[in-house]
Amino acid sequence: MSNFEKRPITLTVNGHNHELRVEPRKLLADALREDCRLTGTHVGCEHGVCGACTVLVDGKPVRSCLTYAIQMEGHEVSTIESVAVNATLSPLQQALHEEHGLQCGFCTPGIVMTFEAFLKNKPDPSDEEIRDALSGNLCRCTGYQNIVKAIQKAAEQMRRNPDYVAP
Amino acid sequence: MSPPEFHYIGQHLARKEDYRLLTGHGRYVDDIEVPGALHACFVRSPHAHARIVSIDSEAARQMPGVVAVVTGHELAQWTTRQRMAPPIEGLQAMEMDTLPIDKVRFQGDPVACVIATDRYVAEDAAEQVMVAYEVLPAVSTMWQALEPDSPRVDESLTSNLLSHQHANHGDVEARRREAHRVIESTFSQHRQTHLPIETRGCIAVWDEGRQHLTFHVGTQVPHPYRTTLASRLCLSESQVSVISPDVGGGFGQKIALYREELTVAAVARHLKRPVRWREDRLENLLASAQAREDFCRTRAAVSADGRLLGLELEIIEDFGAYSFYPGNYLARVVAMILTGPYKVQDYSYDVKVVLSNKVGNGPMRAPMAITSWVMEGTMDAIARELELDPVAVRRLNMLQPEDFPYTMATGEVLADITPRETLEGALAAIGYDDFRRRQQQARAQGVYLGLGICTVVESTTYGSRFYKAAGIPGSGHEAAWLRIEPSGAVNASVGLGATGQGYETSLAFAVAEGLGVTPQQVHLHLGHTDIAPYGMGSRGARGGTAGGGTLYLCAQEASVKVLAIGAKLLGLECSLALRLRDGRIEQMTDGEWVATGVGLADVARTAYLDPLALPAGMHPGLEFHRTYEPPPMTYSNSTHLCEVQVDVATGAIRFVRYVVAEDCGTVLSPVVVEGQQHGAIAMGLSGALFEQVYYDEAGQNLSGTLADYLVATACELPHIEILSMHTPNRATPAGIKGMAEGGVMGAIGALTNAVNDALAPFDVVVNQQPLTPMYLRDLLREKSNLTNKA
Amino acid sequence: MKPAAFDYFRPSSLEEALEQLAAAGESAKVIAGGQSLGPMLNMRLATPSDLIDLNDLTELAYIREVGDTLEIGALTRHDQIAESKLVQARCPLLAQAAKTIGHYAIRQRGTMGGSLAHADPAAQFPLIATTLNAKIEIVKMGGQRSLPASAFFQSVMATALTPDEIIRCVRFPKAAENEGTSFQLFNRRHGDYAIVAVAATVVLDGDRVSRVRVGLSGVSAIPQVWDDVVRPFAGRMASAAWAAEVALAVRAAVLPEDDPRISAVYRKELTQTLVERALVHALSRAKG
Repeated sequence: MSNFEKRPITLTVNGHNHELRVEPRKLLADALREDCRLTGTHVGCEHGVCGACTVLVDGKPVRSCLTYAIQMEGHEVSTIESVAVNATLSPLQQALHEEHGLQCGFCTPGIVMTFEAFLKNKPDPSDEEIRDALSGNLCRCTGYQNIVKAIQKAAEQMRRNPDYVAP
Repeated sequence: MSPPEFHYIGQHLARKEDYRLLTGHGRYVDDIEVPGALHACFVRSPHAHARIVSIDSEAARQMPGVVAVVTGHELAQWTTRQRMAPPIEGLQAMEMDTLPIDKVRFQGDPVACVIATDRYVAEDAAEQVMVAYEVLPAVSTMWQALEPDSPRVDESLTSNLLSHQHANHGDVEARRREAHRVIESTFSQHRQTHLPIETRGCIAVWDEGRQHLTFHVGTQVPHPYRTTLASRLCLSESQVSVISPDVGGGFGQKIALYREELTVAAVARHLKRPVRWREDRLENLLASAQAREDFCRTRAAVSADGRLLGLELEIIEDFGAYSFYPGNYLARVVAMILTGPYKVQDYSYDVKVVLSNKVGNGPMRAPMAITSWVMEGTMDAIARELELDPVAVRRLNMLQPEDFPYTMATGEVLADITPRETLEGALAAIGYDDFRRRQQQARAQGVYLGLGICTVVESTTYGSRFYKAAGIPGSGHEAAWLRIEPSGAVNASVGLGATGQGYETSLAFAVAEGLGVTPQQVHLHLGHTDIAPYGMGSRGARGGTAGGGTLYLCAQEASVKVLAIGAKLLGLECSLALRLRDGRIEQMTDGEWVATGVGLADVARTAYLDPLALPAGMHPGLEFHRTYEPPPMTYSNSTHLCEVQVDVATGAIRFVRYVVAEDCGTVLSPVVVEGQQHGAIAMGLSGALFEQVYYDEAGQNLSGTLADYLVATACELPHIEILSMHTPNRATPAGIKGMAEGGVMGAIGALTNAVNDALAPFDVVVNQQPLTPMYLRDLLREKSNLTNKA
Repeated sequence: MKPAAFDYFRPSSLEEALEQLAAAGESAKVIAGGQSLGPMLNMRLATPSDLIDLNDLTELAYIREVGDTLEIGALTRHDQIAESKLVQARCPLLAQAAKTIGHYAIRQRGTMGGSLAHADPAAQFPLIATTLNAKIEIVKMGGQRSLPASAFFQSVMATALTPDEIIRCVRFPKAAENEGTSFQLFNRRHGDYAIVAVAATVVLDGDRVSRVRVGLSGVSAIPQVWDDVVRPFAGRMASAAWAAEVALAVRAAVLPEDDPRISAVYRKELTQTLVERALVHALSRAKG
């Protein structure tokens, strides 16, 4: 007989363990927002297209609407709340601010998480490479131009300051 | 005329609202925790048109975690019907139940609401609600809607023609007779949807003790929304507070009080428990207001040298099934401002708005989006027919600086706009003559480049006199307050609804300039109806003029009192030689501004804590309230130039360059304005290329996921080059004009005209959108088949 | 959109996975990357009562040379394939295709096995597997078999897999010396599924084309390789004109479906254009 009931799981989010009771079908996005009370991860479509829900799982960008919380036991989940340290914005966050790379802010956490990971692997990206990676995040406000500019600025900042450690 | 000097306005300042949004600490409706809140989920019609025979929710109600299932019958007891009946000639009145009782009118029409302990359970239960329908034939196109024997979408109306308005200015028939040529063009814009990344949602908290509803909802118009909500619930406005938190985009979709939201409020009151709803994306695509879907035909009477003698416009808009918004007014604006930057007094229009079995329409960023495409497409058609250069035709007909103020045939007055300047500025920036040379060379290589020109005259602000003249009820004024605290902190509020456009920054500039403090020192409080003054909200690019204008005037009033107190503190007779700069009072001494040592905090402390030290007769405190009635209309203008390359083998369009020259008046925050320009152009281009709400003949919505409804990604949009050519409006505070919709208008026109220019060697004209590769190939193939047969 | 309820299993070995799958029966689905299955679950287009999570089967995530093939474990992620120097060197067609799949975040999770099992008619890996006639290694409790790609894909999103089987790995033939490959796709937006996609390989013998292979998706229910149509063109001089001729022949042969939004004739035209471009590109890569 199939067991659909809630069961206890441990989610490791931003370095902390959360003991939760969730149904297997509960989306990671919902568990983060409701059970862990981390509402910075936003839900935009629930079918993997808009990218607003992007978090990092073991350092890699993942759509939290296409992942079930129960799948994340034993993995490290990082959300937007972990990026700024002691209220200091990361170079990417700072660059988005300086270049006006956000307006309503709803898609922003997904973009930050995608690029915190991306820039770690590609510290000197071309505009084309940035746009390719950004194409998985929909933004309805900015037309993307200032976001691309911000990412270039952040990449340059990070190349100049190699001590910065991304989440 | 040189622009006035501002100290703060126009400064480059990164946005004040960014910190919380960047760090995941924004507070959108769904982020707000309300302990014990129940979750709503709507049961929706799978049919485009059907009678509701019965609803059996027994099985659903038995499921664990399900608290209630309500239908239109219950809602009819708890709420009033909506009546949309503005006293406008040619517009039929429409009424709407809170949830349909007799029949459903579009696929996705909500017929029942399940309330449960969480959304997962609510969705399970919604599947168990059994609704029996008697399917009716559906009206799925505007042409079908106009047929005399078509099924009636709203049986209380005499036909599907919701609104019909026409006007005749001058003598278009005479102009047609005299003309060298009468050139007819058509423009068909497809149905689109706003697609804010944050879907709709709300939380209703009913306080049984105080008999008070607190309603959290992302809305562009907090106060008008509250008035409507109270009225529909038969509550007094004193019993309702609307709180709009951070909002993830609105674009016009978050203005009306929707039936789902009203249902949630009514259920919360009935159950005496908080109820919340987050619309999911499939619902948003299926059942949130949609937009555009208009067809235009122009007939231009022209002389042999390309002068426009007379112009006739016919518009048909497919409005969907319900009046979430008044039916006439979106299409009407197109008709009223169509002639834009061109000189023509013989002009007639005929505007028809029809109902169909689709979601009801709402204004979508630039509801008049089709306007500039139609006018500029007509100019291009004239150039094509008469074999004239499209720039020459525009120059010949465009209003010159000495023509202003110019009263359009429709009575709209154009003043303080610079279309000729932006046209020439943009052409120079892109190197027009050089482009034509490159285009020739490229054609010889089988490469097809095109340049599209679109000059936009964007109506903004919409003052009360405009509404009155157009017969639309409602006001265009705005309200603001400003309070300087005892410590000198500056708080301000205005009745706008923020949805991401940076008001906390741009409006801070208006206050800063009016008062004499830095924008960083000003804090805007928006969206809470208990806090914000009663204003008309955000729509029609009114934020800058109406909102910024009111705040600026309010701040100036505050400045007068502050300086008067300052003068008293300094022992001066009057304050004429004083100014407030960065919150400090300076005195003009020997031709220089000198610090006096008295600051805003000193003035405020006196005003609140030592009122006897105030000038004789002055009341204590530093709180100010102001309303402002803007001009009936203000205008911004821009010229968009889009260079594309069309791959004639596949029909794909590639952007080569995009230049826009814009005059949007005094710019409060250049950072925010640039962002708005990018965003508006992006939305226009995305719409013209990809976005299509597609209903089939049975009224089934085939664009129900984001895999079907396509929005431009970062790889599809061009880099936008902006030339700022701002000039002030002489009738508004600080010369503000308003902007943020013109980009959509310009993008649609510039892109389509560019494609036509690219395909000119093939004698093919694009007259519909979206500009899909398949559509372009169809045109090319048909032409080639005809040529081969010939 | 929340999924219908399901039970969840997380096997830690392939053996355990196969046991669970056999026990669960027809009401079970396996999940790997979840990039295709997730949306279906969330939209309730798929409502399995049991979900078996394969993500702990790390022994199935590998890329290695085995004889004259490149063997890729079913759990290998798209991004790993796109970035792998080994794949770029030994099976460049696969690498070219992998980097066009969806978007950056999707490629972190999507898997080779998942892509083939899902069998979307517009997907990249089914096309590459078909074009190169890869061998698909399939296992179930107590059994295994090997199928060539030509026998694996049966119809739109339907494969030869029985409910108790999963893919273990896929063997792609390594590219030959003097082989040039090209993957071309046409879509509405970056990252969308292809309307038509072409996988082409050519092998040069001097300045003659000794072997040519063209695979297509978007013109039939399953990806197809058009050997019979292109074989007559082998042995000819490599040139742009040759590519154009082959493309015309392929266009004449394909019978795509007609659809109100994308017509059959459009797909045929697109096929011709993409085949020509793919062959020209493949030729240039063969010449090195």
